[in-house]
Amino acid sequence: MTFSLLHATDFADRLLYKIIPPLKAGMIVLADRYAYTAFARDATRGVDRTWVRELYSFAVRPDLTLYFRVPIEMSLDRLMARRVKLKFYEAGMDLGWSSNPVESFRLFQGKVLDEYDRIVDEFGLEVVNAAGSITEQQRLVRGLISRHLQVTDTEISDDEPLTI
Amino acid sequence: MTSLSPSDPIDGAPGAIEGANGGIQPGRYYGRGIPYLPINGYPGKLIAVEGTDGVGRSTQIQLLREWLEVKGYGVIETGWTRSPLMQPTIELAKSSNTLNKLTFVLLYATDFADRLEKEVIPALKAGFVVLSDRYIFTALARAGVRGVDRAWLRSVYGFAIAPHLVFYLNVDVKTLIRRVLEARGMDFWESGMDLKTGDDIYESFRSYQSKLLKEYASMADEFHFRKVDARRSVDRIQDELRKQVEAFLEPAEKLAEPALVR
Repeated sequence: MTFSLLHATDFADRLLYKIIPPLKAGMIVLADRYAYTAFARDATRGVDRTWVRELYSFAVRPDLTLYFRVPIEMSLDRLMARRVKLKFYEAGMDLGWSSNPVESFRLFQGKVLDEYDRIVDEFGLEVVNAAGSITEQQRLVRGLISRHLQVTDTEISDDEPLTI
Repeated sequence: MTSLSPSDPIDGAPGAIEGANGGIQPGRYYGRGIPYLPINGYPGKLIAVEGTDGVGRSTQIQLLREWLEVKGYGVIETGWTRSPLMQPTIELAKSSNTLNKLTFVLLYATDFADRLEKEVIPALKAGFVVLSDRYIFTALARAGVRGVDRAWLRSVYGFAIAPHLVFYLNVDVKTLIRRVLEARGMDFWESGMDLKTGDDIYESFRSYQSKLLKEYASMADEFHFRKVDARRSVDRIQDELRKQVEAFLEPAEKLAEPALVR
């Protein structure tokens, strides 16, 4: 519960200071992870699904959410290839499912991925196949985003009067 | 801006804290609870003492504790923002100017969750009497005054346990002002200076505390408060608390330990 609430506090702080002001100013906000991360992780840790959703009901619903889906083994391979030391909470070590960090990661993140699949349907997330190359993914992402944006030229024209 | 609310609730179980007749059950979770911590059938008792700043809660709890221990009960105390996890963070956040009403609520809720999981639930499991100096009603009142959505607050605190007894130390703002001034003076947060109603701390204190008292009063029926007139002397209040605690604990004791009676 404290894990969930601390993240919600951090999220609320960022929402009010970093997300809502630029949205009000008509800017584009790119969020690396959003409330859906909490929905997936917290539910895997045994927190009530509906409670977490209600907890985050103060959040702004994104105009577009991309979910980069990857099989658990590929995710592990990528982390291992970079010789990343698995983080305690990222591997779900707090749950005590396995004393081996890699095995714990596989078990925990496997369940997190199952939760994401549920969330994809529930909130209509756009799934990007993250098994592909970076270039392929980026093309796909650009396609999805440009469909959602009327890409307008925001260059200030000389005719526009400066009003204060 | 649309809000991020569940488009498809997972199941139809009640979400938020149930209303006046919605069946609050002492010793059970108010709302959706903590699924990985089932608490049904725990032998301990949870007694909350609520009331605004300077009303004499801590004194009363201290006296109750000694009395209960002499009678042979195991007693633990838990108090607002006293969790080892959150106390330093909350102090730090209060001393900066970055807190807003949402993060304020969530920091309190984190502190409360930490104490619930680490102190209250283990103690209830072990059969202790848990005396809680303030309870979720403090959070509901303070956030309510600051205009936070009441339904959302009740849903967030749906993981709290309904106490077996809630004593509400009720006082009028006139008595409160005199007491606080005699004891230690008015402080920034207790005066609701963050609400920026004015520079005058006396006026701010009076107006903020009046609003808090109204919020508490509005919760009395919903959460089954036992109202105690806190304008009286410490001893008179303590007598009343002991009578009610005794009336509650003794029958529960007899039911729980029939084997002791020969």
